[in-house]
Amino acid sequence: MPAEEMGKVSTKLRLAFAISSVIFVAALAISPIKDLRLEWKQNKRAFVRFAQTRPDTKHLLADFHPGIDQIWLPELGVVDRCTTCHQGTTQTSLADPDVPQPFRSHSPIPHRVRDWGCTVCHRGQGVATEVAEAHETTLAWEQPMLPIKYIQASCGSCHRNNLANAPKLNHGRELLVEFNCASCHKLPGIERAVMPGPDLTNIGNKVSREWIYKWLKEPRMVVDSDGSLKVDGYETEESPRMPQFRLSEKELLALSAFLASRRSQPLEPYKFDPRVLAAWEKRPDVLEQGEVRFRQMFCSTCHSLAVTRAGETKLIGGEIGPELTKVGSKVNSGWLAAWLRNPQAYLAQSQMPRYEWTDEDLYKVTRYILAKLTDSDLLSSVPKLDATAPQEIQAGRRMFIEKGCASCHAVEGVAPQKDFGPDLTALGGKNTSELEFGQAKIPHTLVAYIQAKLADPGAVNPAARMPQYHMAPADLDAVTTALLSMTGPPATSGRQKRIVPRKEPEFHATGAFGRVYERYKCYACHQFNGFGGTLAPDLSYEGSRAQKQWMVDFLKNPQTLRPTLIFRMPQFNMTDQEAANLADYLSLAMQSPAVDSQGADARQYTPQMAALGKQLYEVKYQCQSCHTIGSAGGYVGPNLNNAGNWLKPEWIEAWLRNPQALVPDTIEPRRNFTSEEIKALTAYLITLRQSAKAPPARASNHTTTETIGAGRGAGRGTRQ
Amino acid sequence: MTARMWTAAVLTCFLLALPGCRPKSAQEAKDPLRNAFDTVPDASDPAKIVPLTYQQAQGKRIFETYCVWCHADSTPAGPSNRSNVTPTPALISDGAALNGLSDEYMQNIITLGGSAVGKSAMMPPYGRTLTEDEIRAVIAYARAVAHPRYQPNARPGPKYSVK
Repeated sequence: MPAEEMGKVSTKLRLAFAISSVIFVAALAISPIKDLRLEWKQNKRAFVRFAQTRPDTKHLLADFHPGIDQIWLPELGVVDRCTTCHQGTTQTSLADPDVPQPFRSHSPIPHRVRDWGCTVCHRGQGVATEVAEAHETTLAWEQPMLPIKYIQASCGSCHRNNLANAPKLNHGRELLVEFNCASCHKLPGIERAVMPGPDLTNIGNKVSREWIYKWLKEPRMVVDSDGSLKVDGYETEESPRMPQFRLSEKELLALSAFLASRRSQPLEPYKFDPRVLAAWEKRPDVLEQGEVRFRQMFCSTCHSLAVTRAGETKLIGGEIGPELTKVGSKVNSGWLAAWLRNPQAYLAQSQMPRYEWTDEDLYKVTRYILAKLTDSDLLSSVPKLDATAPQEIQAGRRMFIEKGCASCHAVEGVAPQKDFGPDLTALGGKNTSELEFGQAKIPHTLVAYIQAKLADPGAVNPAARMPQYHMAPADLDAVTTALLSMTGPPATSGRQKRIVPRKEPEFHATGAFGRVYERYKCYACHQFNGFGGTLAPDLSYEGSRAQKQWMVDFLKNPQTLRPTLIFRMPQFNMTDQEAANLADYLSLAMQSPAVDSQGADARQYTPQMAALGKQLYEVKYQCQSCHTIGSAGGYVGPNLNNAGNWLKPEWIEAWLRNPQALVPDTIEPRRNFTSEEIKALTAYLITLRQSAKAPPARASNHTTTETIGAGRGAGRGTRQ
Repeated sequence: MTARMWTAAVLTCFLLALPGCRPKSAQEAKDPLRNAFDTVPDASDPAKIVPLTYQQAQGKRIFETYCVWCHADSTPAGPSNRSNVTPTPALISDGAALNGLSDEYMQNIITLGGSAVGKSAMMPPYGRTLTEDEIRAVIAYARAVAHPRYQPNARPGPKYSVK
């Protein structure tokens, strides 16, 4: 290179340098520009701009700072940066739906954001600062946010007890119990029924092989093309308890052969008194009389029947026992009378009460059921089945075990199966990569997986042994919520400490009371110290509330109660001794600590006080808006026509002081009565008496809880 | 040559940018109520479903326990008590009657009862039965189901002075 050209650069090279340095500077600028355009920074700036359009700008920006906001709760394992963008979370003035997200405030909930963070309930990736990474599934993070529709699942992860604020979760848990999911799956906190399905040890005595075949093929229900569920051809909202198994013809034959041969004890038909037979056998009105008796006994409180009204056929009645529309075509006649007389002799665990029958009533009702509750077409689609061959029975026995039937049904000589299905203890916290989607064309998310599996178990895995359930969309969402709440053992010891356990109520009835209690299965409908059914009033404090003589009269003749409702206490025909035993026990043992057990002295209530009480009742407090006296007033609270014979004065006083102290979920508002007003109202109410012979039409003595209990639990039954 | 280089550069940039696009979840598009805590059918058009927030849903639950008996035409137990009460109580969805009442007024009448604000004593006080927050939730629910739709006429004023 010549000396004069040293230090001189060719134009070309200069140009190259110029361009490359521009590119270099531009490349250097990418980083700050990218940084400036980060999603969270854009949201920060947008919030400042948004706050300036609001009247309370200064308040909104009081603790604004431009960096990343973070809630760090080491005990809970929470590092949540959600509030970096969701800056209005705790600003009550940003609650309107027209406030744009992510600035809208959070609905007021029992947990403070500062103490709990966000991901404990909402899931998602708390540390992420990009919208997609925080909310959705990424390669490195498989726990997307829970759709708000199922958010109650998060309540259930810690609150193993039921919460009033989370009705969907509670309903889902109830359905898991109702569908007997725990028979096959391990589901923490979900009760496994003592007897999920009937004991089949003697099923051959009860039904024919043809009926078993039909039942296994199609457990009474048919789903229409439009998705509506029908039981025996009648529309219903309730799925029958026995789900539908996908069984081949061969399997149906084998199982029906095996079951039809289950007869460990010979059937002993009940022998009616020959005088009753002679008197009733030929009577033309025996069926009508039987129907009348059937109705009078209020079988419909537990069993439903298809009823046609105004051209529309509906199932009407309770759900504690099976639906009975076609039971006459199902059971053997000899079996029926024996069953009605003593259900526990056939099925020791049955919840059916053992009624005190007269031979005459039993004969009439049996004849009615066998003649009227029938369907001649029920078994018309079933092939003619021969006497069962030993090899078929053997195959059926194998099938019974292979299909998991022994998870729900007991059969002599077959060991009960436990945990036949997969353990679902931690299903709600599963990563998508842990789930087997097979050929199913559904979004690869946990929610979609659970819903597809519940809607059609074969859709995800054609070889699944799980039977087909039929759930309404709302029920499907509820069950999904309950399953999503089962997230397994808590992730940190801090969360472990915050678990609220479920209370397991227990009530042991013993002695003379226990025998009557077991015989009439009081707990199937009533609650005793938290144990029992919810159809009828809670009797935990009945001894403080009702007078003993009233209880005896009621137990002997419960017919006059609740005339507007379908669900009534059945007529058990109990003996005087049984009624007295029940009333004695309830009076002594079922007492509320909030009521003076010494009793109030009736002499303290003067006619002047009663007159003042009447005045208060009718004018100042206008109790007639909800309660009926005479024939005027509302129906929300109980009818008070017989309050003087029914309620104890000390109960009325305690009730007026604070109803919720006696019945926590009663809707009677707690008032600000003075002591004088309470005495006066009590004095007035105990003057209200009806003689036992008064016309029963409006003499309903139910309590507030009865009305509400019936209203809440039995809403579907009251559609008439 | 240059044109080809430019095309290649643009194409490379485009390809590099592609992974940034994320398909929108199909499920979310299908179900607009996926992010509603609870829902209720619209009073004027039962086919329309109104989404509810947590607070409104609590209001719905409390309404259906305590208030439904007189402030709705059908109740969980069947018939309504509304016809037994004079003057006839307003329906929860009656926007014409309720939209004009302020939140404070509604809070007062529920807490203290009708007689305390010069209305019928048939409306009992719930201030000793329900908490303040529960009553607020009921009001939020009434606003959500109101027909015609509730429009808050004034935004809440600034709590701190602007200066």
